[in-house]
Amino acid sequence: MDGARWAKRGVSIASIVVVWFVAASIGPSTLPGPVAVASAFVGYLGEPVYWNAVVLSSLRVLGSFTLAAVIGIPLGLLIGWNVVFGDFTFPALELLRPVPPIAWIPFGILVLPSVAISLGVIGFEVSATVIFITFLGAFFPILLNAIEGVRGIDEEYSRAAHSLGAADWQTFRHVIYPGALPSVHTGMVVGMGLAWVNLVAAEMISGGGLGFMTWSAYTGGSYPVIFVGMITIGILGYVSSTIVRYIGASQLPWMEGSTV
Amino acid sequence: MSKQESDADDRAENRNQDTNGYEDIQNGHRESGSAGSERARATGEALVEINELTKTYDPDGAHVVAVEDLDLDIGDNEFVTVLGPSGCGKSTVMECIAGYLEPTEGEVLINGDPVAGPDPSRGVVFQSNRLFPWKTIGQNARFGPQMRNDVDDERIQQLLDDTGLTGFEDSYPHELSGGMQQRAELVRLLANDPEVMLMDEPFSGLDAMTKELMQEMLLDIWEEEDRTVLFITHDVAEAIFLADRVVVMTARPGQIKDVIDVDIDRPRDSSVLTSEAFNEYQERASDLIHDEAERAMEQKQQETQEA
Repeated sequence: MDGARWAKRGVSIASIVVVWFVAASIGPSTLPGPVAVASAFVGYLGEPVYWNAVVLSSLRVLGSFTLAAVIGIPLGLLIGWNVVFGDFTFPALELLRPVPPIAWIPFGILVLPSVAISLGVIGFEVSATVIFITFLGAFFPILLNAIEGVRGIDEEYSRAAHSLGAADWQTFRHVIYPGALPSVHTGMVVGMGLAWVNLVAAEMISGGGLGFMTWSAYTGGSYPVIFVGMITIGILGYVSSTIVRYIGASQLPWMEGSTV
Repeated sequence: MSKQESDADDRAENRNQDTNGYEDIQNGHRESGSAGSERARATGEALVEINELTKTYDPDGAHVVAVEDLDLDIGDNEFVTVLGPSGCGKSTVMECIAGYLEPTEGEVLINGDPVAGPDPSRGVVFQSNRLFPWKTIGQNARFGPQMRNDVDDERIQQLLDDTGLTGFEDSYPHELSGGMQQRAELVRLLANDPEVMLMDEPFSGLDAMTKELMQEMLLDIWEEEDRTVLFITHDVAEAIFLADRVVVMTARPGQIKDVIDVDIDRPRDSSVLTSEAFNEYQERASDLIHDEAERAMEQKQQETQEA
C-alpha cells in the first residue's frame, strides 16, 4: 500500500483526537482531555492489573470466537444446503437471535457455572456466562453469512459438478464450501467485532477483563482510566478484525482484488 | 429412425414452404430418403430420443408451458443446433436431457434408457462461464476425472496444449480472457470424455472474432473424437456453420417449427461463411425465426404489462 493511503488513514485516527481535544476543552469537567488520558495510559502500561485484563479479555474473545466459527460455519453451510435441515433448525435460531446480549446476562449468572483454571504461572476463572455471551456476538453473523454464502452460489455450479460426475458430498466439498467461503469470511470479520461488543457488556456486569476495569474506573471515579479501557478495547478490536481479514484474504486467492 | 439427410430438391422445396405449414414436419422426422449427400462423418443410431416432451412451470400460480409435445432424435455423432428466439424453451429441452429437470410429460431416452439425473456421460457447457472460480484452470480441468480418482495427466496436458492453455494451469479463471475461459470450460468437459455434449449458448458472451475461432475449435474437436453435440443458440449463422441439422423452434410453447439439414462439406472453416449455399441456408433460417422472434417479443411485452 502506498504512503498516501497510510497518511489518509493516519488523518482518520488523528481527527478523533482533535475532536476529543476540542470537546474536552469546552465540555463538562467530567470529560478528561487526551493529555490526561495519555498520562493515565502510560501509568497503566506498567500495571499488571492492566495486562491481566488485556490477556483475559483477549483469551475470552479468542475462545468464544473460535467456538462460534467451529459451530457456526458447518451449521450455516448445512442449513443453506439442506432445506429439510434448515427447516428443522433455522426458525429456532432466528427466535434466539434478536435477544440482546445484556438480556442473557441474568440467565447466564443463574444457570452457567464459573470454572477456575490454573495454568501454572497464570490462573484465571473461566466465566461461562462471559464466554457464552461473547460467543453469541460472533456466532450469529458467522451463521447467517454462511447460510447466505451457500444460497448465493449459482445453482449452475452444482449442476456443473453433478454433470462432471460429482456425488452430493463431493459437490458440498468442492462447490458449496469454497463457494460460500467469501461470505463466511465477511461473517467472521463482522463476528469478531461483535464478539468484542458483547464481551465488554458481559464483563461489565459479570466481572473480569477490560469491561470490568472500565466499569470499576467509573464507579471508583478515576475517569481517565475509563478512556484507557475504551481505547484499549478499540485497538484490540481493530487488530483482531484485521487479523481475521488477512487470514481470510490469504485463504481466498481466487477472489478478484483479494489483496488487502 | 431414418437418417435426417435430405437431398437438394428437398431443401429447395422447404425453402419455398409457407411458414404456416410447419406442422407436417414439426416432429423433426424427415421421411425423405437419403440421397447420399457428402458428409465427412456418418451419424449412427439415435443416441438421444425425445418423445412427446412437455414441460410446464408454475411459478406463483402462473402456468407457463415452456415446451409442448416435442419430438426430436439426435443421432450418434451428430451435431445438432437448436435455434430459437429467447424464452422459447430451448434451454428447457437441454436441461431435460442433462437431467436437471424432469419432463412434465413425455420422456427423454439416452441409448434407450430414460434420463435419471445428471451423468458424466452427458457433459454440459453453460451460457455464463461456469468454471469453478475457486479452482485453478488445472484443477478445473481435472475435476471430472478427479471425482472418480481416475486422472489421466497426459490427456489433460494434451487438451490444454490443444487449446493453447499451457502455462495457465495455475491461473484462476478470473485472470483469463473470456475466450480462454470458454476454452478451459471445454477442456474440463472433454477431460471427462462425455458421450453427449450439451452446450447452451456457450459463445454468446464472446466478441465476434473470438466467437468464430471458438466455433472452429469446437468443430475440430468434434471431428477428431466421436461425439454427439446439442448446441443451443439464437445466432442464425452460428447454428448453420456448426450443424448437421438445425432445429428451429417456435416461440412459447416451444415446439419444432422446422428442421434444416445443412449439407455443407466438412471439415468447415470460416470460408464457408461467405459461400452461396451458406447464404441460402441463412436466409431460410432467418425467415423461419423472424416471425417467432416477433411472437416471443409480444409475449414478453404482454407478460411485463400484466406483471
